[in-house]
Amino acid sequence: MTRFLFRLFLYGLLIALSLELLVRAFHLYTNDPPRFIDEKGVEKRVPGHTGFSVTGNRRQNFSRFSINQAGFNSYREFTPSMTKYDIALIGDSFIEGFHVDYDESTGKKIEREMADTVAVFEYGYAGYDMANQLHLVHAYRETFQQMDAIVVYTDFTTDLDRGAYEPNTGRIALLSSTKFKIRDNIKLLSYVSKIGLLDRILGIGPQGQDMMTEGEKKETDAVRLKNLKALLESYPLDPAKTYFLCDKRTTNRATMSFLESRGFTIMDFGVPFSKSELPTTLIYDQHWNHHGRQLIAELIAKNLNQ
Amino acid sequence: MLFNSLEFFLFFPAVFLLYWALNNTRLVYQNIVLLVSSYVFYGWWDWRFLFLIVISTLGDYYIGKELGKKHLGAAKRKLWLYTSLVLNLGILGFFKYYNFFVDSFIAMFQTIGLPLQHTWTLNVILPVGISFYTFQTLSYTIDVYRKKMAPTKSLTSFAVFVAFFPQLVAGPIERASNMLSQINAKRQFRYGQAGSGIKLMLYGLFKKVAIADSLAPLVDDIFLNYGTMPSGTLLLGILFFSLQIYCDFSGYSDIAIGCAKLFGFELMSNFKFPYFSRNVAEFWRRWHISLSSWFKDYLYIPLGGSTGKTTVTLRNIFIVFLVSGLWHGANWTFVIWGGIHAMLFLPLYLTKTNRKYIDTGRSAKNHYNLADMGRAGVTFFMVSLAWIFFRAPDVETAWNYFLHIFTQHGTGLYQHPLGYRMVDYYVLIIVFFIYEMLVSKDERDPIPFKSAMVRALVYILLCFGLLLFYDGGANRSFLYFQF
Repeated sequence: MTRFLFRLFLYGLLIALSLELLVRAFHLYTNDPPRFIDEKGVEKRVPGHTGFSVTGNRRQNFSRFSINQAGFNSYREFTPSMTKYDIALIGDSFIEGFHVDYDESTGKKIEREMADTVAVFEYGYAGYDMANQLHLVHAYRETFQQMDAIVVYTDFTTDLDRGAYEPNTGRIALLSSTKFKIRDNIKLLSYVSKIGLLDRILGIGPQGQDMMTEGEKKETDAVRLKNLKALLESYPLDPAKTYFLCDKRTTNRATMSFLESRGFTIMDFGVPFSKSELPTTLIYDQHWNHHGRQLIAELIAKNLNQ
Repeated sequence: MLFNSLEFFLFFPAVFLLYWALNNTRLVYQNIVLLVSSYVFYGWWDWRFLFLIVISTLGDYYIGKELGKKHLGAAKRKLWLYTSLVLNLGILGFFKYYNFFVDSFIAMFQTIGLPLQHTWTLNVILPVGISFYTFQTLSYTIDVYRKKMAPTKSLTSFAVFVAFFPQLVAGPIERASNMLSQINAKRQFRYGQAGSGIKLMLYGLFKKVAIADSLAPLVDDIFLNYGTMPSGTLLLGILFFSLQIYCDFSGYSDIAIGCAKLFGFELMSNFKFPYFSRNVAEFWRRWHISLSSWFKDYLYIPLGGSTGKTTVTLRNIFIVFLVSGLWHGANWTFVIWGGIHAMLFLPLYLTKTNRKYIDTGRSAKNHYNLADMGRAGVTFFMVSLAWIFFRAPDVETAWNYFLHIFTQHGTGLYQHPLGYRMVDYYVLIIVFFIYEMLVSKDERDPIPFKSAMVRALVYILLCFGLLLFYDGGANRSFLYFQF
């Protein structure tokens, strides 16, 4: 029995080591560039990191990323041009765009759509909400003042849970914790975690979202609108050059009316997405695929051309 | 509790260690551990249905004791046998077939213009594994009645035989003559047996998770949208389902046999590479062996088998196949599936070729010549076509699917419903077929290589395959649990 258990353990170890090598050799794991909070309280990636973002098992989605000196995934450094129309594109993981090659990003597609007469500076960071985004514009106001247009991508159903900005030190601490370091250094763990197997082993199933009643929904929408008002009060934006990119299908009408009454332009990607015959999102999650990003680029180009 | 769940990965080692820790004490303690763990295993799904197992156990234990009395008259013996049949088939009939027969009865009356209300239909839950353990207990009373074995004196041993958790919910359907003697004997931990058990468990898990679960969404998609798919895709759908059902069920059987080995038991083989069969008769010697041999011993032979007139034998063949179909589920699709197999078997019987490939053991040849390969290909195709009725939700869907194969011409490339690369699945299937061919000498040793390096490589590749094809969103239950 002891011999059996010992050999079982030995074989288990050998198999685990071999799997680690295979996962590394085929680059099945994803790289996650480290994050930090800079001196202005802005959460971003550590500059200079390059790598591959991998989604799903068997590398269903494999793309390159490159973090520029400003700490965002982009094919260009942020030096406002004198000759071109400069556009800042701000948002969360949808704009950060780890799901396509960094030189095939939404920003690049906008530039192509506008015949390279514009320069798009992408400020995307997974986890940004409206407070993060407005704080960023405020913290780097000198840079943003030089922009000709600022496009803020917002999902109003998830990005307005707070009305004031505080740097998320908890998240940074968690990602730097020993537990996460172990996960990131053992690529086998990183892989099984990404494909959902680790959750299953640990007994953490996918959490279903509770359905809200009509009353609760109204209450939540009112809180979100209140938060939006508070944020715009703290971090005023110039309506003449600020555009909100959102999906009107999921956005509360009162929020829309409020933004329009303040003179902001809303770019609704819900219309081209609903008309699209091709899928606009990836297989594994709801992030935009190449086609989705192309539709977004066309929408932004069309609005800015007008 | 599923074999491929977290609960089982905690439950099994705990039971294993406790069980062998008691090896130097009285045998009954080990049996009690097996019994309690089996009830926990079953109760994890729904503890309320444990009472059915307990009723079946107590009933058949008592009937077995009565049948074992020396001076019992023939009439009384028959009465006790019928009591056992009524008890077990009554439980099975009520929980599995009650609504089916009521609905069929109502439908029959409606077709002759006599509409009936569905007031007799009940909301009955089908207890997991009911078809398996009722057949297992029945085999005990019938064997005792036939004086093929003496009744067991120990209630604990008998209860372990009925509820032994590795094979409780989806077989193999064990015979009392094989299992009870092992349960009543002192077990020894044997390194070779345990190692062989682990290998079977790993291979079974690979078949279930990497193949059956990853093909399940494709099969669901094709069978759901068959009306809009070209015939090439429909054929692909039945190929995928053939592999899904084989890997799901034989994967379960491998894990069950492997688990039992770790406790020192040898269960009977349930699958012997059935898709390499050269005719349907051979297929049934290799597919779900524990069920087909059960029907042969307890239904076909009592009906007269093949010893009487040809017409009687033909009747017996049809009865066995139709009942076997119905055993799988309370739906006419299963009955038709059984009927198709009877029709495929019939020409073999009439041309006396049904016993041509009788040797499925280790001595059987596994290197086929071109003609054998052709026969195996034709048999696989026919068996796969029959699976349409097994998989479809109703007869109309099955028939339409079947017709569309021959009428909806076109060869458009099939795309995965979620957009995954299809080439991965084709490579997986081809590699799996080649591997099965290589190891088809012995179904109980799926990693038979002499070289330790080669064995280690296969372990690693199986585990790597599990990681590559694990699908977090897949339905992880075993298909045969519903039967």
